Amino acid sequence: MADEYKPPALPAPFNNTNPAPELLTQGAEGHLYKTFSLDPSIPAALKVRPSKPYRHPILDRRLTRQRIIQEARCLTKLIREGVSVPAVLALDWEGQGGDEAGWGGAWLMMEWIDGPVVRVVLEQWEAWMKKNASSLDVAQLEQENARVKALLRRIGKTIGGLHKAGVVHGDLTTSNIMLRLPTEDIEAETTPTGVSTQGEVVLIDFGLASQSAQDEDRAVDLYVLERAIGSTHPRSEPFMEELVHGYRESHRGATSTLKRLEDNPVPLSNAYSHMDRIDLNWILKTPR
Amino acid sequence: MASYLETLDIPHLPESLSVYVALYRDVQNAAFLRQQLLSGNKEFEYAFIDASMVFSRAHATAAIFRAINDYKNDRLKSHNVHSEIVFSLNPANNIADSFRKFGVADSTKDLLAVKVSVSPEITRDSVAAHLEASVQGTPVTFDDQTISEISDVTRIKKMFKLGALPSPGDKTGGTQNTNAKRQLEMSLVGAIALRGS
Amino acid sequence: MIAIGMEGSANKIGIGIMSHPKDGSPPQVLANIRHTYVSPPGEGFLPKDVARHHRTWVVNLVKGALKEARVSVEEVDCICFTQGPGMGAPLQAVALAARMLSLLWGKALIGVNHCVGHIEMGRLITGATNPVVLYVSGGNTQVIAYSSQRYRIFGETLDIAVGNCLDRFARTLHISNDPFPGYNIEQLAKQGKQLVDLPYVVKGMDVSFSGILAAIDSLAATLGLGGEERAREDAEKASNVEQTSQDQVQDFDSDNKPTRADLCFSLQETVYSMLVEITERAMAHVGSKQVLIVGGVGSNERLQEMMGIMARDRGGSVYATDERFCIDNGIMIAQAGMLAYQSGFRTALQDSSCTQRFRTDEVHVKWRED
Repeated sequence: MADEYKPPALPAPFNNTNPAPELLTQGAEGHLYKTFSLDPSIPAALKVRPSKPYRHPILDRRLTRQRIIQEARCLTKLIREGVSVPAVLALDWEGQGGDEAGWGGAWLMMEWIDGPVVRVVLEQWEAWMKKNASSLDVAQLEQENARVKALLRRIGKTIGGLHKAGVVHGDLTTSNIMLRLPTEDIEAETTPTGVSTQGEVVLIDFGLASQSAQDEDRAVDLYVLERAIGSTHPRSEPFMEELVHGYRESHRGATSTLKRLEDNPVPLSNAYSHMDRIDLNWILKTPR
Repeated sequence: MASYLETLDIPHLPESLSVYVALYRDVQNAAFLRQQLLSGNKEFEYAFIDASMVFSRAHATAAIFRAINDYKNDRLKSHNVHSEIVFSLNPANNIADSFRKFGVADSTKDLLAVKVSVSPEITRDSVAAHLEASVQGTPVTFDDQTISEISDVTRIKKMFKLGALPSPGDKTGGTQNTNAKRQLEMSLVGAIALRGS
Repeated sequence: MIAIGMEGSANKIGIGIMSHPKDGSPPQVLANIRHTYVSPPGEGFLPKDVARHHRTWVVNLVKGALKEARVSVEEVDCICFTQGPGMGAPLQAVALAARMLSLLWGKALIGVNHCVGHIEMGRLITGATNPVVLYVSGGNTQVIAYSSQRYRIFGETLDIAVGNCLDRFARTLHISNDPFPGYNIEQLAKQGKQLVDLPYVVKGMDVSFSGILAAIDSLAATLGLGGEERAREDAEKASNVEQTSQDQVQDFDSDNKPTRADLCFSLQETVYSMLVEITERAMAHVGSKQVLIVGGVGSNERLQEMMGIMARDRGGSVYATDERFCIDNGIMIAQAGMLAYQSGFRTALQDSSCTQRFRTDEVHVKWRED
C-alpha cells in the first residue's frame, strides 16, 4: 500500500524562513504559500513547482524551468504594460533543493493580492439574492443588478488589457480573478447584500499562460470564462454581455476576437482541456 | 555616524548573513574607492553602487537578494557576492557593462555601499568603522524619499528599456504618481528576477 | 450466470468466459483465450487482413473457450461483443459472429464499449473502487474519472494514441511486432541512457503525440538509425548479450551520438511523463488517490513505475494489471457485458451495428450507484 504521506518540503532559502511560509493550496503542479516579500512588512505569495521524481531528471529540469520562467515572463510583461496582475518579486528557476538530498523545486515569489476572488463575491451575492431578492423593490433590484453588471464590465476591460498586451491566460475562471481591496478610504457601496464589488480587478495564476496574439487563443480565454460563469454563477450569466462590452471597448483587436468567438465555435478539445481543469462540477454534469 | 549604517532585514536569508547598507551624498573620493576595487584591495570588498542608478529600496533589495541567493547556490557569475550585487542591478547579462553603468565611477557623487557578512569577522561595528574611515561624504538615511532625490529616473528607465513607462513626477503627489512609481519599481524588480532566464 | 465475451476491435481476437456466481461470491474467469494477427517488421496491419484473421479464428476460439471453461451452451446467459471503438472491419467480423451465436443459441446480445470493458475488468482484478483511469492503447489515450453513472473523459489525445505513436516508431526502426511493438521498444529502451530532446506537448488535460513522432522519426532518419539493417544488428547483439554488453557501454562513451536504444528510451520517458502529468491533474481535481492503468500500453513497466512514484508522492497508489488483462481480451467484454446484462441492458439486433467512434462517456453505467 501507499507509503506514509509527507507534506512537501520547501526549497531553499524558504527552509530558513521564520515563521515558515503557510501552505495555502497544493495543486498538481504547484504549491502556493503565503509568506513575506523581501520586505518583512509586506506579505507575498510564493509558488513552488516541486521537481517530479517520476520524470527523468533532465526532462524534469527542462519542464520545471520552462514553465516557471514562462509564468514569470508573462507577469512581468503585464506589469510593464500596466495590466493588473501580481508583480514578480523574486524567482529561482534552477530548482536547487534544501539540505535534504535530492529535493529540488523552482519557485516564484509574487506580490500578495489582498482581497476576495470573484468566484466568492458572485457566489455570496447570488446566495443573498436567491434568499432575499423578493424583499427588494424594483429600484433596489435594479441597483443590485447594476453593480454586478459593472463588475463584469470591469472584468471584460481587464481581460481586454491582458490580450492587448499579447498574453493569454489559459485558465480563466472566476477563481483566477480577484478584487484588490482598496487601500485608501473610499466610500463604501450602499447595498443591502453586504457583498462589496469594489476594488481593482486583478488577474492571478498564470501557470498556463502564454504569449499569443491569436484570436483563437484569446477566444478560448473568453469562452472558458463564459462557460465557467454559466455553470457556477447562473444569476450573473445573463450579464455576460456586459463583460463582452467591457472587452470590446478595451482595445482595437477585440472586435475580431469576439467575431472569432461567435462565428467559429472554439475547437472543443482545446476549450475542454481548459474547462476540465477548472470546474469539475461543470464538466461532470455536461456530457461532451 | 554609525547610526547611518543600516542592517537591512531581508526575510528568507540565513541568520548568519547580515546585509549592511549606507548611503552617502556629496562623495569626494569616488575615484579612490573605484581604484581600490580595481586593484582588488580585499579591505574594500563592497558593492559600491552609483546611487543615481538606484530607483528605490525595493529595487536595491531585489538585486541584493538575487545576488545572495545565487551566492548561496554557488551560481555567482562574478568574483564574489559584492560584485554580484552590482551585476544584479543590471537587467542585462554583461558583467563589465554592469560595473560601468551601476558601479561607482570617478564622477560618482552619491554612493550606496553594501556589505554582506560572508565571514564572522565582518560585523556591524567593523563595517561602520571602515566605511567611516574610507568614504568622504555625507551619510544620509537610506529611504525612498532620499533616494527619489538622487535617482536619475530617465537613465534607469533607459537601462531597463522601460522608456515607455510613465515617470513618477517629483513633487505633484497623488495616486497617479504612486501608481507610476509602483509600476516602474515592479518592472525593475521583475527584470532583475528574470535576468539570464 | 455466465457470459461469453468477444473482442476484436484491433489485431487481436479474444474470447473469454466469465461466471458471476448466484451466491454473490467473486466473479470467476472460466476461459480467456486469444489469437493475435502479427504483421511483419516495419509494417502495420490492414483492417481487411485483420478482419480475415478474425473470421478465420472466431469459431475455433469460441469452441476452445467453451471447452476450457467446461461450460455447455445451455448454461450461457448472454453473448457480449465489442461494439466499438476500434477498426471497422475487424469489429464487424466479430460482431457478425456474436449476432449469429445470439440468434442460433437464443441468448441475449450485449454490445459493450471497449474502453468500459477495460475499466470494469481493471476494477475487478485490482479491487480499485473508484480510481482515476488511464486508458492507453494503440487506438486510445484517455484519462477517465467516474461520476453520476458515466465514465467521464478528463483528458485525451488531440491526435494519435500513445500506442500508435510507439507502434509507428517501432516500424521506423524495423522492430519486431512480436509479441507487440511496444514490448520490444521497452526492451530496447532498457539499454538506452541518453535522453534526447523531444517535444513535450501537454495542453491543459490533453496531450498530443504526432509532433513527437515526427520529431523522433526525423531524428532516426538523420542519424541513420532506421531500417532493416540496423534492426538486424540489434538482433545479433541481443543474441550474445553476455559478450557485448561491456562493449556497448564503451561504444556509448566513445561516441555521443544517440543510439536506437537511446531513441526508444527518450520516446518512452517523454510520452509517459506526459501521461503521468495529466493523470496527476485529474487526481488533483477529483481528489482521488487511486490510479488504474488499463489498455495494452498499461503493461509497460516503466509507465507503471513512473505512475507509482507519482501516486506515492500524492499519498496514493497505482493499480495495474498484467498483460492477460491489459491487452485486449474477451473476458473484459464478458465482465462489462455481464454487469450491463444484470442491470437489465440488452442490445436489440437492429441496434447491434458497430461504431468505430464510440465514446466512453456515451455509456450509461447503470450498474454503479451514484
